[in-house]
Amino acid sequence: MGDFTRVTIDFQTSHLVFPTLIGGILLALGIAILVTHRQAIAGAGRYWSQTLAAMDKPRFFGTIVVTLVYFLLMVPVGDIWPNTGMGFLICSIPFVALSGLLYLQERTKSAVTALAVVAVAAPLLVWWVFAHVFFLTLP
Amino acid sequence: MELFGFVTPLFVLLIAGGTAIGIVFGVIPGLTATMAVAVCLPLTYSLGLENGLALLIGLYVGGISGGVVPAILIGIPGTPSSVATTFDGFQMARQGKGEQAMRIAIIGSLIGGLISLAALYLFTPWLADFAIRFSYVEKFLIILFALTVMGALSSDMLLGIFSGFLGIFVSLVGVYDVTDGGNGHFRLIPPGMEDILYGGFALLPVLIALFGLTTVLEEAEIGMPKGPSVKELESGGRSKFSWSIFRGQTLNLIRSSGIGTFVGILPGIGGSAASILAYTAAKTSSSHPETFGKGEPAGVIASETSNNALTGGALVPLLSLGIPGDSTTALLIGAFALQGIQVGPLFIGQHPNTWNSMIIAMLLANLVTFVMMYYAIRWFSLAVAIPKAILYPVILMMCVIGAYTINYGIMFDVWTLLFFGVLGWIGVKLGLEVAPFIIGFILGPSAEIYFVKSLESFGDFTIFFTKSWIAAFLWLLIAASIAVSVVIGRRRRAEKHAAG
Repeated sequence: MGDFTRVTIDFQTSHLVFPTLIGGILLALGIAILVTHRQAIAGAGRYWSQTLAAMDKPRFFGTIVVTLVYFLLMVPVGDIWPNTGMGFLICSIPFVALSGLLYLQERTKSAVTALAVVAVAAPLLVWWVFAHVFFLTLP
Repeated sequence: MELFGFVTPLFVLLIAGGTAIGIVFGVIPGLTATMAVAVCLPLTYSLGLENGLALLIGLYVGGISGGVVPAILIGIPGTPSSVATTFDGFQMARQGKGEQAMRIAIIGSLIGGLISLAALYLFTPWLADFAIRFSYVEKFLIILFALTVMGALSSDMLLGIFSGFLGIFVSLVGVYDVTDGGNGHFRLIPPGMEDILYGGFALLPVLIALFGLTTVLEEAEIGMPKGPSVKELESGGRSKFSWSIFRGQTLNLIRSSGIGTFVGILPGIGGSAASILAYTAAKTSSSHPETFGKGEPAGVIASETSNNALTGGALVPLLSLGIPGDSTTALLIGAFALQGIQVGPLFIGQHPNTWNSMIIAMLLANLVTFVMMYYAIRWFSLAVAIPKAILYPVILMMCVIGAYTINYGIMFDVWTLLFFGVLGWIGVKLGLEVAPFIIGFILGPSAEIYFVKSLESFGDFTIFFTKSWIAAFLWLLIAASIAVSVVIGRRRRAEKHAAG
């Protein structure tokens, strides 16, 4: 046992010891999962095509696209009025409005009006609390 | 007087406000106590630790309790921890006893919360005193035990353990920090990203992503189903509540509180397990088990007492060992980290004020939740009808605030939010488990230090088995958790096979 269990860690490469060990464990677990779940893995193509077929694509992908655009615009808009949090405020209003419209089941006049009020009021309130009460940095 | 100097009007107001918001989150199916804490975490940045924790504890207790409303009125658990409440609570509502069932649940929740608070107060200092003696070897084994327990109780052991180790792996991205005794070298970083990934992925954006954005994506995937109308909620009935229902329920209350507290202490196991275990125990020990599932108040008592008892239990390993008891307490680690405080065996001794403030906050949160829900349950139940089209965009916006402000304005943290939010959705589809991943992610850097430093000091792998009797005992627990998992897995497969 003695020599077999002994280990010397070189300080210069010590940053790789644990990641290598965890990587090895993940690999072993991955192989075990492949073996024990081989039927499910073989049917993965069908599973994903069923998931995609059953999915509400406009709402799901719409969420990702709207969020992506929201994140992309926040900083450039904020740079126009630096250190004011305006990037967050100006981008959040259309973001809340658009994603809300995306999620609404029935776009009735009253539902859209309520959404419009929230889309303006919520970002304004949050911006005021965080930028002017808590003095936190916003984009 | 000094001892309770933190109990200011603001402290009490934050508990009350947190509890009210938490109840609303709990009431709305799809939103959880964890999400409430994640979304409101940025509010604590400027509050200071005691006040920040008061808000978060209010959200936690309120969020767990609020789940009872939809579970009883519409048969959908508002939070996973109320899953067993639907079995009898919904049946009671169909019999016109909805309000009665909610009052029973609220009283059970209070008793469960208070008993687990007592366990927290008495047990945590003892465990922390004991844990002070732990060397890096025992600390590493405790983390390993936490991961195997979580894996064992996941719906699939292999995938559960894989998720935990994946969390550790992701947490290792970045520099091997010199302040922790590392050599300052990078690892696992794609070329060109050394500057932004120097410190790895920040904890809070990852947590907010997995509990905020992933949930929104899951709801978007199924088309943001419409909640029930106010009319549907009214149909639950207004039958009168009588305290006599609790006659003969003392054992059920104590047993369910014990189960909830114990499950809370075990790392990474959610309230749904506590609620189902307590419900099963109440049913099997009942003299009339055939009434369970048909509107039996004892079933509601068992479920709701146990899930609120979880709140105190889950704080025990967090405050004594630094290991979160569930996903919500994992978020509390973020709140501590924001204030530069490390939780673990030395926490109570070094921060007695914070410890006392947490106990008081838990006590007040339980009492406030009881008062609010007992007297205003009809008003809170209306929150079920808030359109998700209005709620979810605001939640997403709050997620952005939380991610952006954590490191005083780094846009990369916002991209981390999107990256892990989408990855979380894919992971869940692949059968990976969020809770073990999170615990692995939180504990990964500590596990590395404990493991590498143990080997550097002793130079032999056998040290993990021979260091002390505690190490040997922890290996026994690890082996037992894996054995239990194998037995549970076999039983599940047999049941599946029998069901055809």
